[in-house]
Amino acid sequence: MTDWTDVAAVEDVPDEDVLGVVADGLRIALFRLEGEIFALHDLCSHGQAFLSDGFVEDGCVECPLHQGLIDIRTGAARSAPITEAVRSFPTRVIGDRVEVGL
Amino acid sequence: MILAADGRVVIVGAGQAGAWVARTLRDEGFTGEVTLIGAEAYHPYERPPLSKDVLKGADAATTGALLTAGQAQALGITCLLSQTVTAIDRAMRQVTCVSGQTLPYDVLFLTTGSRPRPLPWPEGEGAERLHGLRTRDDALRLRSALDGAQSLAVIGGGLIGLEVAATARQSGLEVTVIEAGPRLCARSLPPVASDWLADLHRQNGVSLRMGETVAGVQSDGLGVTLTLGDGATLRVDQVLVGIGILPETGLAQSAGLTLNDGIVVDAEGRTSDPAIFAAGDATRQPCPMGAAPLRQETWANAQAQGIGAARAALGLAPTRVKLPWFWSDQYAANIQVLGRPDLAATCIEQTAPTADTASWRMLDAAGTLVGAVAVNAPRALRDVRKEMEKARAAKQA
Ligand SMILES: Cc1cc2nc3c(=O)[nH]c(=O)nc-3n(C[C@H](O)[C@H](O)[C@H](O)COP(=O)(O)OP(=O)(O)OC[C@H]3O[C@@H](n4cnc5c(N)ncnc54)[C@H](O)[C@@H]3O)c2cc1C
Ligand code: FES
Repeated sequence: MTDWTDVAAVEDVPDEDVLGVVADGLRIALFRLEGEIFALHDLCSHGQAFLSDGFVEDGCVECPLHQGLIDIRTGAARSAPITEAVRSFPTRVIGDRVEVGL
Repeated sequence: MILAADGRVVIVGAGQAGAWVARTLRDEGFTGEVTLIGAEAYHPYERPPLSKDVLKGADAATTGALLTAGQAQALGITCLLSQTVTAIDRAMRQVTCVSGQTLPYDVLFLTTGSRPRPLPWPEGEGAERLHGLRTRDDALRLRSALDGAQSLAVIGGGLIGLEVAATARQSGLEVTVIEAGPRLCARSLPPVASDWLADLHRQNGVSLRMGETVAGVQSDGLGVTLTLGDGATLRVDQVLVGIGILPETGLAQSAGLTLNDGIVVDAEGRTSDPAIFAAGDATRQPCPMGAAPLRQETWANAQAQGIGAARAALGLAPTRVKLPWFWSDQYAANIQVLGRPDLAATCIEQTAPTADTASWRMLDAAGTLVGAVAVNAPRALRDVRKEMEKARAAKQA
């Protein structure tokens, strides 16, 4: 059973962009792509960068430090130097709130 | 030369470029033999943390791993470590190692990197107090020397020297940087950014001695005495020498490949021999901005060129060559530089510089945008990158 945690208001997650939140002490990056909300662990798998400081383009987030690309929908590595997936979390919208399954 | 599916690949140099050649061959489905030969005792690792996290105490064995033993095994990449290639026989298509072992190849990649420019003074007694920084072993040696030291002199105000200066200051050492030229990082930064960086180091308590040369180095059991060009002396516990690097081209030269202060390659890493590709610090490549060919001594270039050369060997379509780009981390400043600072005639502030952030656009003499410098401002740099890429695409269309 998934444990859902309330993390943000839907309207605070910007369109085609990212919002960093903290849930249960864990940093989470929330993205909205074509109206759908996705959640990734807010830490690049290559180094000490927050993905919530990154740039959203073509379904990927570009790391602000070394330009590696990560698939927002799955957390998969999409370009060097990233070789390991970033953890991705399920999300759901309840009313006007976003919940993340941790 | 296009690699057959059952071909044999040898990669000489197990660093940033070599590891990305090997990884890319497998990522793109190559099933033949891949042998990666490296002079160092370690599986490929990234060097940037050496002057930063590793020097501060991070675990050297795991920080910046590029291709671990486990990953290499899973990918079917044979790593021959602590092994130096001494000769290439282009007619026979084989390389010879210092051990005497020979390995045949269908395609050879030279990713031999570079080495620190040696001290112009003879090394003698007390050489253990003089340091260079290129490898993990260098970093570990420097780290243990700085542990317990009270003062450090850095000869050369370039990026490596300044990163070490910043790390040493953060550990409480007294640090003096001696730079022969009038400004810091003269090759890699425009003057406004050099000035900003000099202020950053002064604010952090580094003593900067600009326009000053080192005439002599004398060490004894207790420390090192540097004699400066003006006759003054400086007594310190340890010395880091960061006076630039030289491309590692010895093998390529003996093999008769075309050189020009670096192994000459095309935009996809082809050398003058169709069976040999090269990538990384050791190469000189065409400028993606259309200016004179250049040698790029950067992490991003070694990665991108390694990937590009592997793709070319497999006959895959080239991906777009990226604009030159690098970063440096000093204290809390993440400095990113795009384009060609050597072409910059003027710099325009994008935002007014503060103690923590700054960003400038660089224009050449004709007023064309040739790059940017951004301190703790990755978005500003990215905006210029997008703008320059758009202009480049329009020009090529
Ligand atoms: C301390 C430090 C900090 C850095 N920080 C940054 C940074 O912040 N940002 C940035 O953009 N760049 C940085 N760089 C630069 C970046 O690391 C280099 O540009 C990059 O490593 C070049 O990759 P390469 O594969 O060409 O060479 P290397 O990584 O040097 O690899 C070459 C390898 O080939 C081996 N080799 C050479 N000849 C032979 C032979 N004949 N047989 C077998 N093996 C051989 C060498 O031993 C070496 O291991 C830094 C470099 C250093 C040293
Ligand atoms: S920290 Fe994200 S790409 Fe390096």
